[in-house]
This record gives sequence, structure tokens and C-alpha cells, in this order.
Amino acid sequence: MQNAKDSFYVALRTRLIAINPQRTILLRGAVRPGIVVEDAEAPFSQLPDDVFILRWLGLGVDVDLDSTMAAEECDVIYQTCGTQSFGGLDRGRALSQMDEELMSIIQPFYTPKLNFISQPPATMLTQVFWDEPGFGPIAIQRDRLARTAKVLVYSYQEQGE
Amino acid sequence: MAANWYSNPAPVARRVRAYFAPVNRTAQAPAIFDPSEQSSFNLDSPPAPWLSLGWIEKFVRHAASKSVPIMTGIPAAPLEQVRESLAAQVSLQFLSWTKLTMALATGSQHMNLLAPAIGAAAAADGARAASAVTVQTGSTATFVALASTDASKFAPGSIVAIDIDYTGQTGYVGSPVSGAYLRQPLSDVDYIRRITYNVALVSQSSSAGLTLAEPLPGGAPVSGTRLQGVIGFVDREGGSFYQEWSGLFILQGGQGERVFFYYPRLQTMIGAQESSVPLSANSKSSVARILLQAQFMAMPVTDPLDGERVVCYRSFVPASNALV
Repeated sequence: MQNAKDSFYVALRTRLIAINPQRTILLRGAVRPGIVVEDAEAPFSQLPDDVFILRWLGLGVDVDLDSTMAAEECDVIYQTCGTQSFGGLDRGRALSQMDEELMSIIQPFYTPKLNFISQPPATMLTQVFWDEPGFGPIAIQRDRLARTAKVLVYSYQEQGE
Repeated sequence: MAANWYSNPAPVARRVRAYFAPVNRTAQAPAIFDPSEQSSFNLDSPPAPWLSLGWIEKFVRHAASKSVPIMTGIPAAPLEQVRESLAAQVSLQFLSWTKLTMALATGSQHMNLLAPAIGAAAAADGARAASAVTVQTGSTATFVALASTDASKFAPGSIVAIDIDYTGQTGYVGSPVSGAYLRQPLSDVDYIRRITYNVALVSQSSSAGLTLAEPLPGGAPVSGTRLQGVIGFVDREGGSFYQEWSGLFILQGGQGERVFFYYPRLQTMIGAQESSVPLSANSKSSVARILLQAQFMAMPVTDPLDGERVVCYRSFVPASNALV
């Protein structure tokens, strides 16, 4: 199941680089694309603004199929205070831009499953696929706007996983 | 050594894609779909002559063929089965209103509302039309060459119909899509442009002609073709004409596998009707999407492979590396 989660993250990261290479984050001294997996980073005291955070939550499995299917629930969390140059008055527009970017990078709704233990990553036999995101309402915390979109990510377990 | 295969469970698909292609009514020749050669096409750009109708909803196939046993002995017991009747139906909802989806979802001919002539008497399916302009040589499926004075009459955003004049033909009229069947000659010189499927939106207008937002279904205009403005579309409940198209429906599974349902001949079997779907299931809002409801009867063809009469072909192309 980790391969499916890794493949989903890398697919979204690759697509984000293609549509908005300016969305980046400085993390542990390196400038990286603005999408991170929460459980693969040091704990955040405050989630960073203007980047996509993937938070893995629920898990369901169907073992009655020819290949076991896993359904993993992923929250995509993003928030913004707008830009300093506009005094934060563009925070609504900034959040809308992130909504649109998420809609873009989530499509197409599938990607090949890769095993990132080896370098370069090995292409596995199956694909990871997912459903349309369910966008939650905007959460307002003073001048910060935040949204969470839920995505169910499906994959089949392969031999050796 | 790691296995290089896996067992793929039943396909998991999000929606169904629909494609239609005109049947040559005069020659009774449906469009062919060959899954051995065409199964991997990009779903957004189907091979000619197939036209994409986008995603559809509530796609239901109903096999209505009946088999009956031949009984023998005392007490009677089945000896063999025979196919008593051959029939199938398909129903679906289109998610968009276009010339093609409207036409497919109506039981009779589908017509263009041509821009009316000034002062023309009112008519339910469009008044006498303003004069057509002549298409010049050098036109393509996406560019219509016109005299500069004619081109200036059509601004970007206009809809235009492009086809030949009606000169008294009877039988099936319209090409490549037969849009109507005439038992007797009419007097309307614009009749073919009323029922033509060569309709498109103008994206740019210049002194040389009109650039179209999408290719004409019939390809580049032929010699003698003329062009008229279109206000909208109209169909009628009643009449004697039945639309007939070849239909192709595709399910793409989560692993890339594809299921094809190919119907060589589909005839619309219900009149124009719509269904209303609320946009929000959780509110009492009255805002609803109005979807075109279509239902087709599958007509038989004779398979040249073995001479069997059939109404539908179901093909399955498995995912890569999946056990078969």
C-alpha cells in the first residue's frame, strides 16, 4: 500500500511542476515542489501556507477479490493568507487558484504504480486510481483561509507487497 | 523471480464514453468498429468516422432476445434451445445539449432553425430563411472560404449550416448523415441545410472567410455548397423518420482495460424527452440539470464472418499483465 501512496504523491507532484513550477516550499534547506506528505516530514507546528499537504487517514481492504484491493483515504489540505504585496486582500483569489490547481493535477484519475525502494523507481504491474475529490468548506482562521479535499485512492496489492 | 502477471478483478470504471457514426441509409451500411485495430485510441480523439458525444450517464443495455426450448419425450424435456427472437435496447442520458445529442435523443428528424428572412411569415420549425451565400473554393473542414461581403455577415459566435441546395430529391437526403426521408419533392431550396449535420460555430471571421471552432462532420464542403446562419435547433414529436446511427460505448477500467459495446445499427425508439436531475442532492434547491433521455433499438446486421444475424458486439481488451 505504501507503493500506491508514493505513486499518488509523485504523480500529483509531477503534474504540479508542469502547471505551476512557481509553487514551491523551502523545506530542510531545499526548495521543493509545493506538495508534501505530512507523515514523511518532521511534525509541523503550523501547516505551511500556499502548499498542498497530503494527509493519509482511513484504510479499507477487500480481500475477497482475485487481487486484494486497498482503498486509502487522503486529505489534501491547503491554506493561504494571500500575498504580502496585496496585504492579504487576495487570499480568496489565492485559494481559488489552489482549488483550480488541485482539479488540474488530480486528472487523469490514475497513474502507474511504482516501487520507489529501488532507484530508478521500478514500474509495477498495476495502476493506482482514484475518485473525484470531495471539496470541504473553507475554514477561516483570522486572515487565513484553508480547505480540505478528500480523495479515495484505490490500488491492488501485487505479489511481494 | 518476481511474477510478471496479476489477477485483475472486475473492471472499475467511472463513467461510460459514447461515440456515434452515421449509417449510410441508402446503402444500408453501418460504420465499422474493429477492436483488434482500434482498441487503443485516445478517448478524446476517436478514429473517423466516429464522433465523440462525451460522457453519458445511466447507460443500460437490455438484451431482449428470447430463447425457447424444443421439448420432446413424455414427460416433455428440453432437447435443444432455439433463438425465437433477436432484439436489444440501449438507454442512456446525454450530459450535454448539442446538435448531435439532440438529434440522437429524438425520434424523428432534427432540424436547424435557419436565420429567417426579414418579414418572413412565422412557422413552427423556422420561417423562410434569409438567402444563403456561396462557399468558395479552397474551403476545408475548419475554414469556409467566402466572398468578403458574405463573410462580413457572420460574426464570431455565429452558428452556420453548410450544405448543397435542395433540388427536388426524394428518399434519404443529407450526406454523410441522412437527416430525413422525403416521399415527395418539396419546394424549399434550403431544406437540406435545415436537416444537415454540417453545422458549426464560427470562431473567427475575416475578409477571406470563416474559421470554425470545430471541424464539419461532413469534412470539407463540396462544390456547390452554400452557407446560412443558424439560430438554434428544432425537433418534433411525430413524423415518420427514424434516426439511425452506429453506436460505440466504452468502459475504461482502473487498470487501463477496456470494454467496448459496438452496435452497428441503432434506431431511436422514443420521442424527445428530458429528465431533470437536481444539482444538489442535499438541499431543497430547485436548480436542476435537464438531461436528454435517449433510448435505442438495436437493429440486426449479418456478420460477414459466418453469416449470423447479430445486433451487438461486446469486446474486452484486458489490462497489461493481467491474467486472462
